[in-house]
Amino acid sequence: MGVPASIPFVSEHAAAGQERLEQEVVALFDQLRTPLFRFLLGQGLDAADAEEVIQEAFLALFEHLRSEKPRTNLRGWVFKVAHNQALKLLRRSGARATPLEDFAAAPDPTPEQRVQDNQRYRQLLAVMRALGPQDRAVLQLRAEGLRYREIAGVLDISLGSVAVSMERALARIEAARQ
Amino acid sequence: MRDHVSDGDLLLYAACELDGERCAAVDNHVGACPVCAHRIHYLEESVAEFAQLESSAVDPYVPSPEPARARLAAQLARPRRWALAFPAMAAAILLVITGAALLLRRGPDRHVERPDPGLTPGSIVSTSAQMLCAEPEREPPPIDPAVAKSVFDRYGIAPAPGNYELDYLVTPALGGSADASNLWPQRYDAGEWNSRVKDALEDRLRSMVCSGEVDLATAQSELAADWIGAYRRRFGTARPLLNHFAFVKDRPWE
Repeated sequence: MGVPASIPFVSEHAAAGQERLEQEVVALFDQLRTPLFRFLLGQGLDAADAEEVIQEAFLALFEHLRSEKPRTNLRGWVFKVAHNQALKLLRRSGARATPLEDFAAAPDPTPEQRVQDNQRYRQLLAVMRALGPQDRAVLQLRAEGLRYREIAGVLDISLGSVAVSMERALARIEAARQ
Repeated sequence: MRDHVSDGDLLLYAACELDGERCAAVDNHVGACPVCAHRIHYLEESVAEFAQLESSAVDPYVPSPEPARARLAAQLARPRRWALAFPAMAAAILLVITGAALLLRRGPDRHVERPDPGLTPGSIVSTSAQMLCAEPEREPPPIDPAVAKSVFDRYGIAPAPGNYELDYLVTPALGGSADASNLWPQRYDAGEWNSRVKDALEDRLRSMVCSGEVDLATAQSELAADWIGAYRRRFGTARPLLNHFAFVKDRPWE
């Protein structure tokens, strides 16, 4: 395994490589920040913690890439790091993970928007509260477009468990509609 | 018609993520079962509706990305070399004091081995205590033999096999990097203040960082500036504890 070059001795070539890596990480940040935010709020983090977890995840991604580790499925890698961090924060705070709790207090742009958003928000809240943490995470990750195998990797569960969680989550939503 | 396929399998099937044999069986069933074929559409629509609901309810509240993006870009561009003026100076001063003391008396400290702050100021990677503590401590990354040789050369040492450990001044378990600027040859078992004793300190500091007693930057700074002083403070002893002295963790550099 290569050892990362020390900055004071880097050649121009290495400096250009580092800059390319920075750009790559920022581009992935642009692409994944909103999906990660949705996911983390749904997992029970408040907005400030979600922002911190996302920052940490991308700093970790940078180090991951800098040390020439595998580049396969970076999206899944970032979600996994963010999810592990979120679990750790929730465990440490001892708080029960209540999805979207803090989010309800966020300022709304206009009164009309507020009414409309609140309706959607209440609907979403009802769905989220009906689901256990794993089922919610699986459904949220699928909604973000991750493949089922990626979801299994992010949550460290089997593909079979992912399928069971999806089935249960959708059944709860179906039951809530009736 | 046999029993219908479970919703879970239908979803995996629709995403082409079922294993070969099972996939073929579901394919046969769905081809002949309009209920299951319809159910696939229904399930996929439910997922899409959820995605739409979540996005429309949450997205208006997601804070603007610009400040976070700027913060990330700034952190990524920050030079990773860690050469805080204070710890480096403190280490240099301590080295001079130690040298002077050694001229005056020959005691148990004559085996004191500290890195040369000019050659090994210590360097870290961008990380945080949260990230480091999220996972169990791993084996440090292997050191490139060319880098290892350059470290020994810079220190003017031709190591006999098994005598030295090439040590990270700031351990990777606390965010130390694998740069040459963070590596130094430490006698494996000569003297009181050997690499085994330092390993014990690193373990103690890591557990203090992970329990929130000490912040990461302080732990890194203690290791880089004066690890022996840090050991004395953290274990409340002037000399290495016997069980640490005999503590064996890393393999010597061969």
